Amino acid sequence: MINAALSTFGAQVVLATSSDENHPPENITDGKTETFWMSTGMFPQELIIRFPDNMKVSLISVHSFNVKRLRIEKNAQEEADKFEVVAEKEFEQTENGLQINDITLDGSTATHLRFLILSGYDHFVSVHKVGVQA
Amino acid sequence: MVKLRARCIIVGDAAVGKSALSQMFRSDGGHFQKNYSMTAGVELLLKSVNIPETSDSVGQYIFDSAGRETFVGACEKMWGQPSVVCVVFDITSLASFNSCSRWLERVRAHCNGLQVPGVLVGNKSDLSSRREVEAAVAQEWAQSQGLQYHETSAKDMENCDAPLLSLAQAFYSLYQDRRQMIQGLG
Repeated sequence: MINAALSTFGAQVVLATSSDENHPPENITDGKTETFWMSTGMFPQELIIRFPDNMKVSLISVHSFNVKRLRIEKNAQEEADKFEVVAEKEFEQTENGLQINDITLDGSTATHLRFLILSGYDHFVSVHKVGVQA
Repeated sequence: MVKLRARCIIVGDAAVGKSALSQMFRSDGGHFQKNYSMTAGVELLLKSVNIPETSDSVGQYIFDSAGRETFVGACEKMWGQPSVVCVVFDITSLASFNSCSRWLERVRAHCNGLQVPGVLVGNKSDLSSRREVEAAVAQEWAQSQGLQYHETSAKDMENCDAPLLSLAQAFYSLYQDRRQMIQGLG
């Protein structure tokens, strides 16, 4: 499942704090690393992904570029509010390729995942793919 | 269509006209504040700048920061990570020009080593009879620091849109540059 596109399971990005119409947030859930969402200036940046049902999440993999500090929050409700922090990580900088990071969670259920990009290695950062393992 | 967002830090000695210029930026040259009122902290103004010949724009969060030394420490904490910088001096005050390198250093110390586009602005160009800083000298120093030079008169509403436009364009081309680079990675 980690290699499949999240969008095939009905997951969608319901909030993104930046939008360039050439690099929309849907690019994160299409399962491809060639397409990406790009932030358009200033931090923090926020993304919220909604799953159609409660989903067990034990691992999240993120393909990105120039992201420095990332915080992940989740909730298990219908509304996208009242999130709890489940992980915070500082990514290493890469030069000629994407950052690929796996973040292990406790396997409890979620309806929404919220990604807060707190800082970056550049003015602009990109997220190419988010994969989830149940 | 892309809407970029930039944190624009305005610095320079006290009374060179940073707030008058900021108001000009925001009001598109419609409002000049005649009476001096010292800025004691940071004033935040928001101005969207369109990039000519595109449908794209840059939303500038303008941090008009106090020039008086007493307040600088407190102001610096508000700057966060700057996207662009605007250093202002008064063309009738050599001292204010000489301070510019110190102001620039201060802002750059917050940039985490990132390339930050900047402009140098010689304000009060209406007072050219009392000029102490030649445009050529300012231009040369600006160039040595990688800054674009503009002269403005907030009072006469002269050239006031130039600094913000040039910052927006520089930030925009930085974005396009990075976008292309990332496109080659995936």
